[in-house]
Amino acid sequence: LFSCRNGMRQKNSNKDYFLSEEEFKLWNRLYRLRNSDKIKEITLPQVHFPSLQEEENGPIQNPATGIHQLSLTEWRVWQDRPFPTHQVDHSERCHHFVSVMQMIERMRHEEGECKYELEMKSYLQMEDVSSTFSSLGNGYSNP
Amino acid sequence: MEEELEPEEQERFSYQQRLKAAVHYTVGRLCQEVAEDKEVQFSKQTIAAISEMTFRQCENFARDLEMFARHAKRSTINTEDVKLLARRSNSLLKYITEKNEELAQLNQERKAKKK
Repeated sequence: LFSCRNGMRQKNSNKDYFLSEEEFKLWNRLYRLRNSDKIKEITLPQVHFPSLQEEENGPIQNPATGIHQLSLTEWRVWQDRPFPTHQVDHSERCHHFVSVMQMIERMRHEEGECKYELEMKSYLQMEDVSSTFSSLGNGYSNP
Repeated sequence: MEEELEPEEQERFSYQQRLKAAVHYTVGRLCQEVAEDKEVQFSKQTIAAISEMTFRQCENFARDLEMFARHAKRSTINTEDVKLLARRSNSLLKYITEKNEELAQLNQERKAKKK
């Protein structure tokens, strides 16, 4: 992508969409990941919907060695509190995420009985839910 | 904690819990279908977590839908706003768009019958 840069005009470089020769050298020397690096590539996980037939991306393969796929789950035990911010506040969506992580943490050691379920049972009104479900019989109606 | 709430807040809380209970029930039934289909089991805690996430996701959706409609100078949310919620995944957007067309056709047939 960048190798065709050499022929680029040097003037106007600050207005150019591409890197100037000097910027390219700097990038090449300081930031560019190489095959000889321990991590030669960084990738993001692809959007994937297992419940819809995924024809567009094909099967997702595990990243090869030397390619680091960024993980959104490996540090989940840290995620039950809001992390520090700089100039961008946490969004509502982010606060919801943190709250659910806290809830999961509280439930982690529950066995069998679920407090959330017990509480919800007392508030359920069958007119609020679909009758195609309620006719089948379930944990709520037969104690 | 509940005892300290004002009557108005108490009512709000009960109403919210009633909504959550309905979501929880429905999520439970949907998970049961998936469990039978995929031959896996969901713990009660997993179903509770999905329910809570769903309830909160409704808040995100509701806020976004309101803003999308307002962005188009409308006060009534329509299916175009809903499609915007699905914009991040091609397969999801395709699914929602097809559902929308199905419903539109169904509505048209129903109207035709009435006349």
